[in-house]
Amino acid sequence: MVRAAALAQVGKGRGIGDGMELLSSLILIFISAALINNFVLHYFVGICPFLGVSRRVDTAFGMGLAVIFVITIASFLSWTFTYFILRPEAPIPVWVWRVVGGSPETTVDLSVLSYIMYIFVIASSVQFVEMYVRKFFQPLYDSFGVFLPLITTNCAILFACLEIMKHLQDPTRLWGLGEALTLAIGGGVGFTIAISLMAGIRAELDLCDVPRSLKGAGIALIVAGIMAMAFMGFTGVDRGVERAITALVGG
Amino acid sequence: MQDQPTALERFINGILPENPVYRQLLGMCPTLAVTGGMKPAITMAGATAFVLILANIIISLIRGLLKPHLRILVFTLTIATFVTIVDRFLAAYLYEMSKELGPYVPLIIVNCLIISRVEICASKQSVGVAVADGVGMSLGFALALASIATVREILGSGTWFGLQVLGEGWPAWGIMVLPPGAFLTLGLLLGGAEWYGQRRSRRLVRAGG
Amino acid sequence: MTAMDEQGKRISYIGQAWLVILLALCFGAALALVHTTLGPRIAENKRNETYSVIPVLVPGADRDMTEELIVQSRSGRDVRVYKAFTTEGKHKGWVIPAQGQGFADRIELLIGQDVDLTTITGMYVLAQKETPGLGDYIKGEDFRDRFRGKPADRPLVVVKTDPREENEIQALTGATISSESVTDTINSAIDNLREVLLAHDSSGAGARK
Repeated sequence: MVRAAALAQVGKGRGIGDGMELLSSLILIFISAALINNFVLHYFVGICPFLGVSRRVDTAFGMGLAVIFVITIASFLSWTFTYFILRPEAPIPVWVWRVVGGSPETTVDLSVLSYIMYIFVIASSVQFVEMYVRKFFQPLYDSFGVFLPLITTNCAILFACLEIMKHLQDPTRLWGLGEALTLAIGGGVGFTIAISLMAGIRAELDLCDVPRSLKGAGIALIVAGIMAMAFMGFTGVDRGVERAITALVGG
Repeated sequence: MQDQPTALERFINGILPENPVYRQLLGMCPTLAVTGGMKPAITMAGATAFVLILANIIISLIRGLLKPHLRILVFTLTIATFVTIVDRFLAAYLYEMSKELGPYVPLIIVNCLIISRVEICASKQSVGVAVADGVGMSLGFALALASIATVREILGSGTWFGLQVLGEGWPAWGIMVLPPGAFLTLGLLLGGAEWYGQRRSRRLVRAGG
Repeated sequence: MTAMDEQGKRISYIGQAWLVILLALCFGAALALVHTTLGPRIAENKRNETYSVIPVLVPGADRDMTEELIVQSRSGRDVRVYKAFTTEGKHKGWVIPAQGQGFADRIELLIGQDVDLTTITGMYVLAQKETPGLGDYIKGEDFRDRFRGKPADRPLVVVKTDPREENEIQALTGATISSESVTDTINSAIDNLREVLLAHDSSGAGARK
């Protein structure tokens, strides 16, 4: 039969021993999320705002910044809740279970509540950002209109939370808050790059002779396909960066 | 409310006239992500159908109790619960497919299609109509996913549902299975649907005038 | 709005929340049910992913006799390794996981080694996102077989022609970088765990009842 050995040693199981290794890991995560595995052009999340984005680059850029803001807050909260409460054998539920006298043999696992938790975290983050923007950047808030609350349904944010959850499952390879935030910000930056580019292209497209059936979403998707091809050119960049960093550190 | 569509109308609407992907442009994320092959596409369509139909039923049953400012909360809670159930179900009984679909099953929660159907139909009409709406929209969604997946899988791997369809000599258009292929296929098919729709309406106008 | 009105409004908000709270409890119960019924099956599926491959990686091993251990690699990380035994309880080999950066994304592997960690007995790709039709052949039998019987006590080198030295691996045509990534990943994983596995063996935990 199968026996699992004592996980007592896993207490310090983050496994990132070296500071430089962490930095290299963060840089790779950032580049991967922003360019190589761009959230919009590779993972297909955040398509709705991407297709419906305005023709003005500055509005698109502002939307991108709002998304970066929301995604960072949401990911911070997601990581915290997942690390301490939602992952299998998380510290707080285990402690509570022991306090109420539960048997130490049962596995304590609240991960089934993860998705519900994430969507509420995201809705709250959007509310928070909305209040903040309305108070301090009134004109910006007015120009956003209905788009700000719609960020709640932006797949990109939930996707970031899900990726973070994925990396909090194996006790021997847990992501710290640093990695989680880097992924979130990198993803947000990638999203901003993609929609800013798209807005600029669409501004030009309006002056072109697009076939009637392709006007609107059709041509936007074809342009997105070409952009996706262009971004595929970034493949392998992270490997090169990894090698460069390793050589630099001499390890 | 006599001017609200009947169950039959809701059902037929969802398949082509108000097709979620081709007409309403909703649920783009899974449409692009899982249509690399027929198997993941149909699995995703099934999962979405499960969530849509059950959420419609529940919301329709409690529609009299919904308060205006809390209803989005209720919708979200219901949808998230059913998505969790279907996700767990897939992980238990179709583990390989669950891994292939990955994060896109939980992303059904933010699929605008479900929230919009719940808001437009289920929260206002009886259970029968809501079910018809759910089934119709699900069929439309499945149709859309299947059409894109067929193009991408046949051109990209020469297979359909995993069975070899094109001869061994066919140089698989790898790009079709990759992200650019998804965008291009959807864009062109959307253009095609749009062109067909415009031709029909022009013909109808000509016939009428 | 007077203070009384404010308070009245607040109370009515909370009063209206009873539906949400009730739903939350019901859904919570439903999810708990789903978790308890499907949870074990899902865990079994996850374990099977690795355990079903162990007899392939270490020929002669019985998957049900496998022992799972957490050891600390040379770089300070905790790693989950698998000690493979025959049905009779004789130690047959080790299976270690490995992760590395591939051409496109992370690659996850399992590597089988013999008892004295001198030879590689097998390699299996758990996850990869290399280029379809080129790099993704690293998960195919052909490429995996190139590692069988190769030495585990020195670094493997990728060459483009037929391997002449014992520690040379022939690259996949058109996927040199993917091939190199896999080899580098294997090299560093074997190297990282070498000492701790040898130490574990010599501490007398060689045979199982």
